[in-house]
Amino acid sequence: MKFLNKIVSFYYREYKLNLSGLQDILTNIIFFFISIFIFIFSIGPDRETISLIGVGILWTLLLLSSTLSLRKFYQDDFENGNLLITHLNGFSFGFIAILKTFSHFLFVQIPFLLSIPIACILLNIVNDKLIYLFISFSIGSLILSCLGSISSSMNLMNQRNFLLGSVIVMIFSIPVIIFSVGIINMEENFNSLINILFGILLIVFAINPWASGLCLKLSLENN
Amino acid sequence: MILVKDLSIERSNKTIFNNVNLSLGSGNIILLKGKNGSGKTTLLKTIVNIIDPSSGSIYWKGKPLKKNLYDFYNHTTYIADKTSSLSKLTVQDNIKIWKKIFLSKINNSQIESILKTLKLDNYLNQKVSSLSFGETKKLEFLRLIIEDKKIWILDEPLSSLDDESIDIIGQTFQDHRSKEGSIIFSSHQNSDIGVTEEIRL
Repeated sequence: MKFLNKIVSFYYREYKLNLSGLQDILTNIIFFFISIFIFIFSIGPDRETISLIGVGILWTLLLLSSTLSLRKFYQDDFENGNLLITHLNGFSFGFIAILKTFSHFLFVQIPFLLSIPIACILLNIVNDKLIYLFISFSIGSLILSCLGSISSSMNLMNQRNFLLGSVIVMIFSIPVIIFSVGIINMEENFNSLINILFGILLIVFAINPWASGLCLKLSLENN
Repeated sequence: MILVKDLSIERSNKTIFNNVNLSLGSGNIILLKGKNGSGKTTLLKTIVNIIDPSSGSIYWKGKPLKKNLYDFYNHTTYIADKTSSLSKLTVQDNIKIWKKIFLSKINNSQIESILKTLKLDNYLNQKVSSLSFGETKKLEFLRLIIEDKKIWILDEPLSSLDDESIDIIGQTFQDHRSKEGSIIFSSHQNSDIGVTEEIRL
């Protein structure tokens, strides 16, 4: 019960922190929509072309937008010592990585998830595909949060090159995009692709606490 | 309670310190003294198991620290040389968060009286970012009372504080000692706050 209360308190703190940094979340969403407009203007007024590549555009922009928020994943907590305090409060580094990953999913990815219907209207994506887009994005964004956790924790050890973490996320998210876009464009038998996507989620979810936890410990040790 | 035996740390082929021994029992206040770079912070970080020692061992309640780590953490408050309060939030919000995170039973009137003693009672609704470094540091000490643990491990708690604040901290140390609490802290400045043992690094 005590442990559960500590987890609830952890998320209360994350909520307060994200609420105070609401402008960062809004900036991410504004970046996402402005990028959609830029794509639309650069492709031209052909609605069919936009509709055809709309899902690909959406996923690419979701990836880029969520990459923008990676810098803040662990950096603030690392710099002000809260990472250490959370650890001393009874959470292992691996468990902190899991908690932070869900926090990133809740406070960064969910706002994108909620903005998908508006983006679909702009990109002329038919309503029938919306449910598949939601399913693929729900699983895919959790994968991106796990990858983000790993790359951000690696960045703590390599403070000079933030881009390296973003590159790692982008490389490993290629399969996620392939299968996520596949789910939406497939006429039937999309269950197999969802299973593959879910499999990828389980793999990164299993690796994340080990990899991120180790990086967090090493970065605190060398700080 | 804490026993440090023949502890040595080497980093990048450089010896930070060699064969440090200390024993922190209840009611003890140990001061780690040394110049900048002498390894005070490293020793404190090693005691809280953030840094692995090159050789030597640390025991908590007679057992190796690593085997008894979370019990040790349950009894320990560590305040690093940087402040952990969230600068974007108000003083009140930070206190509320600490109370929740550390499952503190301390009531608001107690907190108000401590804030008054620390002369922070007028800043409750101000953001931490608007406080001076000394004030932020004093706010950090509130964690000691909120967490209410037996062992205090403090890294340079006296730096950036005025004489009056140092006196208050000294009094807090003595109160904690009288309740059989133990403190180990580092400092490079001379101060008279009832230290029972001094270790030079």
